[in-house]
Amino acid sequence: MNCLGIEQIKQGKVTIDVGDIASGVAVSIVGEIDMQDPSVVLDPLFSRIHKGVMDAGLKTVDFDLRQLTFLNSSGIKAIAKWIMSLAIAPADKKYVIKIIQNKAISWQTTSLPTLTFLVPGAVQIA
Amino acid sequence: MPLESEEGDGYIELKFGPRWKYIAVVRAFIQNFLVIGFPDDARADKIAMAASELLENAVKYATGEETRIKVGLSAKSGDVDISVSNKASPEAIAGLKSMWDTVMAGDPLGAYVQMMREAATRSDGKSQLGLVRIRYETGGAMKLKIEGNLVTIALKCAKDPSVSA
Repeated sequence: MNCLGIEQIKQGKVTIDVGDIASGVAVSIVGEIDMQDPSVVLDPLFSRIHKGVMDAGLKTVDFDLRQLTFLNSSGIKAIAKWIMSLAIAPADKKYVIKIIQNKAISWQTTSLPTLTFLVPGAVQIA
Repeated sequence: MPLESEEGDGYIELKFGPRWKYIAVVRAFIQNFLVIGFPDDARADKIAMAASELLENAVKYATGEETRIKVGLSAKSGDVDISVSNKASPEAIAGLKSMWDTVMAGDPLGAYVQMMREAATRSDGKSQLGLVRIRYETGGAMKLKIEGNLVTIALKCAKDPSVSA
């Protein structure tokens, strides 16, 4: 179990794991996000991560999407909503979301970098 | 949308009752169809994504059963044409017309980022990001055609993106 107490999520074709790293937490998504309303799964998860990371004073979330083979626009909305929540976070609670992409998956190389434009300094792409 | 019929060209046309559970199957089918026609997996990925987003819209907003998707590729130019047609209510058509202007305004990246910011604040469960995502990520030329209650959204992806953009 990770420091945020979040258990593995399996929903349809996607599996989400949260783990601990030295500077914060790691969130990995494996599979496809192509359900009609992924916000049902993703919004509560990202909200819990956001609150937990700020409460714990952590500074980094590694967001590992290397094995995410498809992401629909509703899933992008959920991620954007999480990122946008950093815009209103108190300065001393802010953290960085480091997206780990897979350059062999072509949509990732065009979709994911756009997320860095939402909130300056909130997202990095590796 | 007429498709070229030169020797060596290929096309598929599917008509189906729009159900969410079929979208992933159609996406994979289109991707495989395109990969047979040209060995550019990256472009096939993007076009399959576009098809998937258009079909998601059809499932969400279409009335009736007659959703059609056509995909054609030109052996000569390497261009790919894709279109999705479905019937829609007057309310849905009005909403699409209104959103279309926002999607097509300004540069593709700027429009996409702005609509992502707006989507993040929506509480109605909609993202309304599909069309603007297609515009930015494929670099293709998009057209909206409305005939009565029939809506057709067409996308042309040139082999050389500078041609269709």
